[in-house]
Amino acid sequence: MSLDLKPKKWAGALREVTLGAGTRRPVSVGGGNGLPLHAFEAAFPYRPALALEITDVDPVRWVESVRQPWEGVLGQPAEAARRAVTDFGADLLLVHLMGTHADRGNRSPEQAAADVRAVLEAVDVPLIVKGPGAGQKQNAVLARVAEDCRGEGLALHSATNEDYKTLAAVAVAYGHVLVGESPIDVNIAKQLNILLADTNVDLNRALIDPLTGGLGYGLEYSYSVMERIRLAALGGDAMLNCPVVCLVGEETWKAKEARVSADKEPLWGSQRERGIHWEVSTAMTLIEAGAEVVVMRHPEALKRIRKQLDSWFGSDRSHDREGVVRSSFRPTETSGGDSCR
Amino acid sequence: MPLTGLQIFKLLPNTNCKKCGYPTCLTFAMKLAAGKETLEKCPDATPAAKAALGAASAPPIRGVTIGRGERAITVGEETVFFRHEKTFVRHPGLFQIFDPTGLTPAERDAKLDHWRGIHIERAGETFRVDGIAIVETAESVAAVAAAERGFPVAILAATLPGATAVAERIKDHRPLLVPPAGANLEGYCALAARLGIPLVVGAPDLASLADAARDAARAGVADILLEPPGADSRSLHHSLSAIRRGALDRIHPGLGHPVFLRVGAGEIERAVLGITKFASLVALADCGGEAWLPLWTLRQNIYTDPQKPLQMDPGLYAIGEPNDRSPLLVTSNFSLTYFIVSTEAEASGTACHLAVVDAEGLSVLTAWSAGKFSGDRVAKALRQMKAADRVSHHTVIIPGYVPVISGELEDALGDGWHVLVGPQEASDIAPFFRDVWGPLARDFETHP
Repeated sequence: MSLDLKPKKWAGALREVTLGAGTRRPVSVGGGNGLPLHAFEAAFPYRPALALEITDVDPVRWVESVRQPWEGVLGQPAEAARRAVTDFGADLLLVHLMGTHADRGNRSPEQAAADVRAVLEAVDVPLIVKGPGAGQKQNAVLARVAEDCRGEGLALHSATNEDYKTLAAVAVAYGHVLVGESPIDVNIAKQLNILLADTNVDLNRALIDPLTGGLGYGLEYSYSVMERIRLAALGGDAMLNCPVVCLVGEETWKAKEARVSADKEPLWGSQRERGIHWEVSTAMTLIEAGAEVVVMRHPEALKRIRKQLDSWFGSDRSHDREGVVRSSFRPTETSGGDSCR
Repeated sequence: MPLTGLQIFKLLPNTNCKKCGYPTCLTFAMKLAAGKETLEKCPDATPAAKAALGAASAPPIRGVTIGRGERAITVGEETVFFRHEKTFVRHPGLFQIFDPTGLTPAERDAKLDHWRGIHIERAGETFRVDGIAIVETAESVAAVAAAERGFPVAILAATLPGATAVAERIKDHRPLLVPPAGANLEGYCALAARLGIPLVVGAPDLASLADAARDAARAGVADILLEPPGADSRSLHHSLSAIRRGALDRIHPGLGHPVFLRVGAGEIERAVLGITKFASLVALADCGGEAWLPLWTLRQNIYTDPQKPLQMDPGLYAIGEPNDRSPLLVTSNFSLTYFIVSTEAEASGTACHLAVVDAEGLSVLTAWSAGKFSGDRVAKALRQMKAADRVSHHTVIIPGYVPVISGELEDALGDGWHVLVGPQEASDIAPFFRDVWGPLARDFETHP
């Protein structure tokens, strides 16, 4: 008896969005016409893009095991960017301007723009630029960055339902991509895209950030909202078919389970391995739900996710770079010790 | 496929005898179609009607129970492809693969006792090792030792005679028989059928897998699990997705069974695929908490019922056993926010009051920007909860993301209330209690 497994065909497809322009080597995402990773029945012109997160100031709250691969370059965005691209093989970067936050250094929009310019000079990959978080400062910082880096096709993170007009205007004026952020809610994601479209943002230049819940902290909400967004896109909803970006690293490493040492919780096993597993599990799960841009923090986790994606998309990258990944980061011995035999 | 009310109505006697408790057969049929009644209430239903209804209402994926007693685990009985369509119901069993070769009985028992003793509480669930997948060895005593400890046991067979010897010894514990990859299934089918135990069926491709499962059922095996083809992630994902879709669409009787997945050492990603994409039993070679904790947690997330609302009921929640000198925290009623804040507050070891304010299920910052977490609103909520009667210090700790509401809140609360700005992240609650609240509380004691 043969199996009559009919491939599922959909009316719609994701928009293709290209990140990076000007002096950037561009990276495109989206365009798929099926459920995430369902390569057996759908076509995906681009593989999900993997970003690493770098910061303008020393991210003092990062736990030691995720600081270690970045040793010597934390708080030096240009240096960190070089390491992220050359040594760790990131497709693109997220520059988190955390230091512009009032409580974390209160750096000025001018300083922020200078930091981003320095990163642009250090590497040629596209950048996502994340501001200090909702509020007036966010707009001032990102508007200044957008202006000073005009034509570079940055992805500005992020506009919200309540506050999108300033960023929509600068994204359009200076040729950038805009990330719209919604609080794990498919209706708000759609409403925001409608508002952005009304403000003359070309939705082929927009990404959806549906808000990432890390493993153990709301991952299931993000997972289901993203599945519903994808289903809407495939059903032909032109206001929900932008590619989705997930800030995996940031959410992963907030989790107690990624941070606490084995001395304190012996049953939880090695903190170093556990943290990486935590980030890999979160990233893999969200890619299954439709993440097209995944922002990570630990280079070892990125490497493992890249290997997974190779299984679907082959190991040659659309924007291959010479020497591929020169790894100066040495994964230490795997967990183990205690054999299961 | 489930039958419609009218289809069921045609199967009923149409006597309107009311013995079922409903005025007409049609009403009863509608209740049956909605799954709110069972056919047993109709004393005059014909055997043909019972058979038709039974077949139509059978779940698209059969349930299978492994083990006996308190730790027995039932898997399968799933009805959807996407968890948001309804919910996933039977979370996958996570089994520890155990090769006892070369261990002394004492070493072996120590490992089994260690695994048996693992209990990790997280968000209302107890994580434990759900079963042991024992690599078949010349002696069957390890399987016996695991079964006697109450573990559901999967026998990872190497040879048919060896597996037979082990299965015979523990058949009353309802073990799962797992033939080696590529084995001729005939002998294993006969063994499983004879002992009445569940069997894993594998094949190199989906069509032969479905056929093999159908053949095993015909050979008298009542409970079957499918081992999907897929050495690499892409083909495994394809197999898992196709089996679930094929089972729900009922395209082949051989696909309507739960899925069994073997995961080698260091293959966390494979386990992640299995847990998210419909595997019902995952046997893991890794044994450290660093591998198990993320997988347990992932399973907990994916199998949470999405039909439950995202909001907590507003009100004053006790964390630990707080008294009138314990700190009073305020947060939004977004259930995730509540979960994270309460988890961290509990972990701090300081008992406290947690005031959950109706912010329409939004997170603190979003709620504030939407005007749902203003000083006035929070003050009103605290008055409704009679917070003033619960704490003598009349100090309220607000989330660090909204220092901006301090003034308005203090004004709105009036008389003698103080607002203290807490940390932005819940993970900083413990240091906040220690470094900020602690000295302040001592101050209250000396200058009441």
